[in-house]
Amino acid sequence: MTCSDVEQALPELLDGEANGAFPTEVESHLQSCAACSGLVSDLETIAGAARTLAASEEPPPRVWARIALELRAEGLIRDQPADAKLAPGRPILLPTAARRRWSSTAWWLAPVAAALVAGGSYVVSHKPATPVAQNQAPVNAAPSSAPSPAGSAPTTPWQCGLPAQASMQPTVTAQTTVEPEPSADDQQFLSAVSTRAPSMRATYENQLKAVNADILETQAYVDRNPRDAEAREHLMEAYQQKALLYQIALDRIQ
Amino acid sequence: MVEFRKASSQPASIKNTAIVTAVLATCLSSALCSAAFAEAAKEFRYTVGAHANISVDTQYGSISVKPGTDNEVVVTATLKSDNVEVDQQQNGNRIEIASHLLRGTDQRNGQVDYELLIPPDATVNLRSSTGPMSAERLQGDLTLEGAEAAVNVRDVENGHVHIRTMRGPITLTDVRNGHVEIASISGDVHLKGVTGPLVQVTSGRGGISYDGDFSSGGEYRFTTHTGDIRVLVPADVSADFKARSVLGRVQHDFPLKPRHSRFPEEVGRSFFGTTGQASSEVVLRSFSGRIRLKQR
Repeated sequence: MTCSDVEQALPELLDGEANGAFPTEVESHLQSCAACSGLVSDLETIAGAARTLAASEEPPPRVWARIALELRAEGLIRDQPADAKLAPGRPILLPTAARRRWSSTAWWLAPVAAALVAGGSYVVSHKPATPVAQNQAPVNAAPSSAPSPAGSAPTTPWQCGLPAQASMQPTVTAQTTVEPEPSADDQQFLSAVSTRAPSMRATYENQLKAVNADILETQAYVDRNPRDAEAREHLMEAYQQKALLYQIALDRIQ
Repeated sequence: MVEFRKASSQPASIKNTAIVTAVLATCLSSALCSAAFAEAAKEFRYTVGAHANISVDTQYGSISVKPGTDNEVVVTATLKSDNVEVDQQQNGNRIEIASHLLRGTDQRNGQVDYELLIPPDATVNLRSSTGPMSAERLQGDLTLEGAEAAVNVRDVENGHVHIRTMRGPITLTDVRNGHVEIASISGDVHLKGVTGPLVQVTSGRGGISYDGDFSSGGEYRFTTHTGDIRVLVPADVSADFKARSVLGRVQHDFPLKPRHSRFPEEVGRSFFGTTGQASSEVVLRSFSGRIRLKQR
């Protein structure tokens, strides 16, 4: 049994554990694999804590009344007139500068930014079809640390069990010089910036190129080192950086 | 035709004089126009209760916030031209100020600089594309957002500080006992004397520098994609360190006690371990930048 097998079976294993011990083959693997045993231990702690949480309850009406009072005091809502078409008693949300800004800017950037994060999540979490050789040892592991057994897959961002060649060679250096092609969304984004804030066009374009280059660079590394969870996390963060750029533009260009 | 000949036969000195006069007249008229639209300062005063909520939103210009009296907000707006107006409204304890650019306004003539004196416990939301933005000696929550704006926050305690910029440098000095969350795409982030239950910095291409002490407990997470991370702390700091750069180098001069033995350490690219009582958790991450942890 490999770390990957344990990882995939973890939900059922943890459910089953409530009724008894793990299957023998799993127990045997956990005894020899510090990473998996640590992961199982962490998950057991979390599951145990979750069971102690009380079921959520609907707050009593006085809580909602209190919140409404605060929102009225802050000038965020007001009561509807008696002849309002909407449900009587339902408060009206007052316009604020932020909400006004949303209506006057490139609204389409919001879903694009969200899609970027979602797309990034998919790319990062997508398992590669051809995993790296499983019997390669971690690089420069401290002699005192327990070596991972053959076939154990890193499971946390801080586990660096990279293949020796891949981790020591900055193989993506050449990728940094590649000029990423702007996507259709990028072109639409730059077009909106050009129209609404022409003086900012060059700045946003440079930032977009930089973020796209970071995504390309990290993606190339992840492709070469698919088991490096830390690198996958950086890839996700690079997508988040691009989403942040879109969000800043959404807020700033008028 | 004759007149043309006459004109063209004028001595060169006369022609030069005419040109100079025309240029001077143009400059003079421009100066007069500028004088007509010279800076205009407007002052707004509002009476508020405890924990007021104050927002300022400007496309171009600086925003400076300082503590004033406990129940009054004083806003001084300096407009660089009449191509921009200031919209302002008060709803109870909430005050909203926004620059309103008229058609054809650009960065040069759309600038409004704001100076605010506010109750120290107020919640503050500032937005400026160009900045700079600064806030000091406050105790409420702060949210600052900009594109190229430089951000400077000093002497703030007990409030949460959220900052988001594209490429402006961010400097926090003596910020205590609050959640600090900073996101930047390519701006450098400098933290000096910043402590709290959560201090989180994420930058794409900017560097992150920290000079302080983690010993009061808390969670410190510094992440940058290509930038460097430099941390300077006292020799007796109490913290649990985790650091890794995927492609860059890491370096430290602390005698770290190994704690995460199940994570194999990649010499030169990662280190893990504790000092003192491990009061705080410190996580330093970079994809290709260098990470340095040094004793002060």
